[in-house]
Amino acid sequence: MRLLVIEDDKDINRQIVAALEHAGYAVDHALDGEEGYFLGDTEPYDAVVLDIGLPKKDGITILEAWRANGRMMPVLILTARDRWSEKVQGFDAGADDYLAKPFHMEELLARIRALLRRATGHATNELVCGSVRLDTKSGRVIVDGAPIKLTSHEYRLLAYLMHHSGRIVSRTEIIEHLYDQDFDRDSNTIEVFVGRLRRKLGVDLIQTVRGLGYMAAPPVETTDGKR
Amino acid sequence: MRLPRLPENSIATRLFLTAAASSFIVLLIASLFFTAYYRRETEVVFERRLEVYLRALVADVAQSGEEGHTDPGQLGDPQFELPGSGWYWQITRMDGATQDIKASRSLFANRLPKLADRGVAAELGGFRRGFVEGPDGRRLRIVERVIDVGDMGVYLVQVAASDEEMEEQIERFHFALMVAFTMLAIALAIVAAFQVRFGLRPLRRLQQELSAIRRGEDERISGAYPSEIAPLANELNLLIGANRDILERARTQVGNLAHALKTPLSVIVNEAYSTPSPLADKVSEQATIMREQIGFYLDRARAAARGGAIGASTQVAPCLDGLLRAFRKIYAERNIAFIGEASADMRFLGERQDFEEMIGNLLDNAGKWATREVVITIVAETPPTPDARSFLCITIDDDGPGLTPDQIREATQRGRRLDETKPGSGLGLSIVADLAVAYGGALELEKNAAGGLRARLRAPGF
Repeated sequence: MRLLVIEDDKDINRQIVAALEHAGYAVDHALDGEEGYFLGDTEPYDAVVLDIGLPKKDGITILEAWRANGRMMPVLILTARDRWSEKVQGFDAGADDYLAKPFHMEELLARIRALLRRATGHATNELVCGSVRLDTKSGRVIVDGAPIKLTSHEYRLLAYLMHHSGRIVSRTEIIEHLYDQDFDRDSNTIEVFVGRLRRKLGVDLIQTVRGLGYMAAPPVETTDGKR
Repeated sequence: MRLPRLPENSIATRLFLTAAASSFIVLLIASLFFTAYYRRETEVVFERRLEVYLRALVADVAQSGEEGHTDPGQLGDPQFELPGSGWYWQITRMDGATQDIKASRSLFANRLPKLADRGVAAELGGFRRGFVEGPDGRRLRIVERVIDVGDMGVYLVQVAASDEEMEEQIERFHFALMVAFTMLAIALAIVAAFQVRFGLRPLRRLQQELSAIRRGEDERISGAYPSEIAPLANELNLLIGANRDILERARTQVGNLAHALKTPLSVIVNEAYSTPSPLADKVSEQATIMREQIGFYLDRARAAARGGAIGASTQVAPCLDGLLRAFRKIYAERNIAFIGEASADMRFLGERQDFEEMIGNLLDNAGKWATREVVITIVAETPPTPDARSFLCITIDDDGPGLTPDQIREATQRGRRLDETKPGSGLGLSIVADLAVAYGGALELEKNAAGGLRARLRAPGF
């Protein structure tokens, strides 16, 4: 899951990015409106944390421009402006949630989780696929009742695939959603991660769809043993 | 026709009353003067007539004395021939042993009293004038003169006439004058009333424009006004503009202050959160208190900036639609339905932000507790009198657990939070109550039929 944080206060920006990365997301950040708008308009983010009072381009303008361009990722507005008239303006511009400063980081994380879940059509924090259970709140992965340890990249890969379980996810899409923009992208690393993940999970969860990508799906039990 | 009522303290009343009173006084004086003048003139004419007859008789007596016989009586006026006509003459010989009296036929066997006997002084030329009682009890105006025709003797010549006719004539004139002047007075009053109405029309229009501004239907005074009150209209416009500016500036400053304080506070809270320690806990706790205090006093400052706002008005329907759209998103997760609508012409008499703040906080509170749905209804109350301020009655119902009377009392108190486990500053309901009071309305909480909470907000509008 790759997120974008647009916030002009350096301290808050740093804190949010650290907290989100700690929670297992790939995070890009921008300190002004123009850069933020450009990133959000060109990179495929799964969710955006957006301040309203930004230098160069304000949050509402950015959001409206994205929506006009068909960028439909969930956006959480984070601002000190907490009047209802300002909130309504934010929602009408296309925001999916609104959090007023000062905020508790836990609340921000919970709202982000909820946004990601809603965007992929899940009802709870817990993603289940076959015998694999992934709790997006605690970041724990349980296979057949036993917890397993994953690196942050492995966790991100699994979480992304499980958020979109039953759908083929291309390698490019995985790269775009797993790494922040500063990461040295190399599609071979994906294969390496998939291999390691399969080994750690021990169950047949991640299918390779030749020429297209990967798909998380529970193993299909068939009488003749074929898939 | 409806009689226009005259308010005691009004320019129109003053102008009308002074115009009416002064024209009444002028007309009264004029009528007295005209009546007196007419009476005097009529009397003079009457006296002259008597004098003319007297001279004619005197000439007659003098002539007949010379000729040795007297037959006056050819005065040419048949009134002297008709008995009891009121016109009489009498010639009395004074020097003889017996008084030889001749009189007009109209006097019949009666005799006229003599002014000389009553001690009335003679004027220059020997005339005596005065009033006597006539034979039939009528008052007579009489002129007499004594003439001495030498050998022919001394005669007292008298001419008398009832002045009844003259009085009647004067009376008729007086009546006609009164009728004419009364009509004139009425005409003047109508003109004065019209003048006052026409003259004061710009003031009335100014008043209407001002009340339209107060009701929020208008932004500024726009009409063209006569030179006397045009400066007043301009000043009022400036005043309204200044009022808006001050309010806007205050609000902006408050908002800026909020922004300026909240961001560093966020940093402190988050920093404390990321480095757990007893110090961090203390910092976190105190920062939370600071946050609540900032919220509390900023909301109060905003609420206090209300009230004085002149002439803002807000369309209810777009505000409500915007809020409902937002709330459907906010509560999408919990699948709570927000139901409500407002008619397109409904208006709240105040700032849009305040309306949204009040309704937003009430909907948010309802949403937090609701299990399935929140229903908002807005109706315009019919004011008890046409001049009274009109109010909107906004009812918000949820199907949550509701509140006990004690909790209700606590909820609208300042800065109290009912349930610390529900997110939010806990200032929501009390700031709504404060704003409602600032606008001259009120917030009431009660239990609804479904057992949930019903918030009833009264706010100015129509």
